[in-house]
Amino acid sequence: MKRDARTQRWRMTRRGFLIGLGIVGGGLALGATLGLPAARLALADWLDGAGFPASMPKDPEIWFAIQPDGRVVMAMPKVEMGQGVHTALAQLAAEELGVAWEQISVTQSSSIGPVRDPAGTNASFSVMGLFPVIRETAATLREMLRAAGAEQLGIAQAEIEQGFVIDPANPARRIGFGELAAQRREWQAPEEAAPLTPPDRWRMIGQPVPRLDLPAKVRGAAIYGYDARVEGMLYGAVARPPRLGAKLRRAAPGTALSRPGVVQVVIRDGFAGVVAESRLTAYAALNDLELEWELPPPFTHQDLEERLAAQAGSGTPIQQHGDATGALRGGQVIEATYRTPLAAHANLEPQAALVDVQPDRVRAWVSTQSPVQVASSIAATLGRSADTVEVTPTYLGGGFGRKLLITAANEAAILSAATGKPVHVGWTRTEEFRHSYLRPPTYAAFRAALDGQGNIIALEQRHASGNVLFDFIPAPLRWVFGSDFGAWRGARLVYNIPNLLVTSQTVELPVPTGPWRGLGLLANVFAVESFIDELAHAAGSDPLEFRLRHLPDSELGQRLRTTLLAVAEMAGWGQPAPAGRARGIACSVDMHTVAAHVAEVGYEGDKLRVYRVWAAVDPGLAINPNGLAAQTEGGIMMGLSATLFEQVTISEGRIDAGNFDRYPLLTIADAPEVAVQILRSGDQPFGGGEPPMGPIAAAVNNALFALTGERKRQLPLG
Amino acid sequence: MELTINGQQYTVADEPARPLLYVLRDELGLTGTKFGCGAGICGACTVHVNGKATRSCQTMLATVAGAQITTIEGLADGERLHPVQQAFLELQTPQCGWCMSGQMMTAAALLAENPNPTHEEMIAAMRYNYCRCGAYARIARAVMRAAELMKEGAV
Repeated sequence: MKRDARTQRWRMTRRGFLIGLGIVGGGLALGATLGLPAARLALADWLDGAGFPASMPKDPEIWFAIQPDGRVVMAMPKVEMGQGVHTALAQLAAEELGVAWEQISVTQSSSIGPVRDPAGTNASFSVMGLFPVIRETAATLREMLRAAGAEQLGIAQAEIEQGFVIDPANPARRIGFGELAAQRREWQAPEEAAPLTPPDRWRMIGQPVPRLDLPAKVRGAAIYGYDARVEGMLYGAVARPPRLGAKLRRAAPGTALSRPGVVQVVIRDGFAGVVAESRLTAYAALNDLELEWELPPPFTHQDLEERLAAQAGSGTPIQQHGDATGALRGGQVIEATYRTPLAAHANLEPQAALVDVQPDRVRAWVSTQSPVQVASSIAATLGRSADTVEVTPTYLGGGFGRKLLITAANEAAILSAATGKPVHVGWTRTEEFRHSYLRPPTYAAFRAALDGQGNIIALEQRHASGNVLFDFIPAPLRWVFGSDFGAWRGARLVYNIPNLLVTSQTVELPVPTGPWRGLGLLANVFAVESFIDELAHAAGSDPLEFRLRHLPDSELGQRLRTTLLAVAEMAGWGQPAPAGRARGIACSVDMHTVAAHVAEVGYEGDKLRVYRVWAAVDPGLAINPNGLAAQTEGGIMMGLSATLFEQVTISEGRIDAGNFDRYPLLTIADAPEVAVQILRSGDQPFGGGEPPMGPIAAAVNNALFALTGERKRQLPLG
Repeated sequence: MELTINGQQYTVADEPARPLLYVLRDELGLTGTKFGCGAGICGACTVHVNGKATRSCQTMLATVAGAQITTIEGLADGERLHPVQQAFLELQTPQCGWCMSGQMMTAAALLAENPNPTHEEMIAAMRYNYCRCGAYARIARAVMRAAELMKEGAV
């Protein structure tokens, strides 16, 4: 495309991150007509069923630049954090453009463009949400090129192949996309929507093409936020409170300025930082500052867990049919309470940003999932208008929800503004452990009753959790929703239960909590699917058969059945496990993707080992099956780490772990063999980054019960 | 003081108590070696010192003066990838990639010393390198695949 065409102005409707104006408006309107509890249930149903709207421009000249040699450069709105999203989205484009895979390359969009993405990269929504957008945009460009090429060739109907417009009567007559794009001409978008390639003719979608980012990654050449460097840059370090929630009452430079290499000490309200010529010097100089902190009352992680338990009864209904409370009155009731602890993201690249504050503009290179939000946050920190700040996301050394908000970017902005030089702030592991937001603790109290045939007649779950997404949305909206919909992700039951009530209570905690891969998914499925296993055993049923007979008669129920049966066949469910081992099964639905796992566990001495995991995943349609398999393998390993080992503990208001010695992760020596089968149930892709991890904690826990006969109800298990 | 990194001579300030990692990344621009924990636990900063896998965050400059240091940037032979890099690419092993320089340097040192490791020997060598994305199954296969590639290359 002509270069000048890309400067075209466009505005996008601001329906981005989780809450669009349409949803909010709908919620308020529903509240007026239905009453608040019913509106909240309707919202919960909507969130669970509909997914979130993708609002993106469909102007090809924003998305694609065609170079004279025929290469197509795609402006990538989503960030690459290892999930393979650049590759999957480029596959969609290559499919509809009609170019060879080798012709396409990608460039990362910044917070201002070319493809601005207020939604950020999260919620397993990138491929699912952009599937129609990219295909339609690429198809439009293809038709524009086809029309221009046909005109050039003097024919009415032209074909497209491998980046060429071809005369079907004489295939030797052809003109390349690069040549066409280099011409000065009036480009016309077709009046009618360009036809999309039908599934039976897909040549890119569904192919395990190699990842675009890996050649640089195996050479150590990929640049992450922690690696961002510019000429003349300095390094910053910021003083941290000795206890969570402590406020800086008074600060003075102390002896910091006499330390060689220290450039400046920056003190402002509630903030004290050092800028130096090297990172080591900046951090060493923090010890030279004079700091006085106002300490809040101390607390422990047990205090938080008690607070959840105490408040769990007063939640907002998020799933309800029949009369569970009535049906559970009298008769035999099975009760159990499940808990999960605070946990850390432990992304191996700590948060990092390089920010260059100049009088007229601010440029930043940040390891972030949300460049647009980070730009707004930097602008607010500096008291500038957001359109003067450009945040370019780098590759991310792990995201997992941790890199939605980047405090380091605001800190680097403050330090750069004070010194007039570009400043890099890259947190230490200790800062990452002690001053980040965490996965919140959860609490789930269940009561259920079986009928004479061993079917669930009633089930009630009272769920409580700290914030997951509530810190990201304004207070009035929190009130509309009633409970944090990120916290209860995975807590709704997929089974056919005539009397069902699930409530969720969001509990304010004195520790920052937020989204962790899958939000509430791992913790909530651990609770729900472990309890379902308890009911299966109480009914005297095989856990697989019990699940199958409770599936709803619906399309989703059918997908669950297919996926459960697939994993059962892979694992040889029903045949005995090797001596000393046992197997457990669990399933989940998240972002419309169905996952089912079987885990095989045993003990080596007193150490719980997970030897094998079988996973069947139905993501609707996998754009890149090898990429989805990698996400499934990785999600299972990360989930296992949380299942077996991970727990953030707090003493005297301070997080105990300052490094991995107190917060060990799963290693290759603990890793099970994992077998993955990707199923296809249609022509539309659903979530891929988080959903495949859903069942793992419950599958392991159910296997552990099968092994020992003793039910565990709290993570970690190891 | 003088450092030899990837066969090239560098002159750096004579402050022998600095960890090698910070000199590589922040002074010499060799950012392929990653910071993960600063405590020698996670393995992201692994380089070779005289061929041995070494945690650069725990390695003071004084101990590597005169040594042959190799980082991920020096693992390939120009355009030609090291068999470990080839295998990691072939099996599409990295996800985010942050730990991968350390994984590959650890694997390359293992295979240089033991070109034909058993599964247990491979696990014993690789078990101190964290991968938070959980690519362990592919890492294990890739290291064994690299051993095969080295044998094929040697014939």
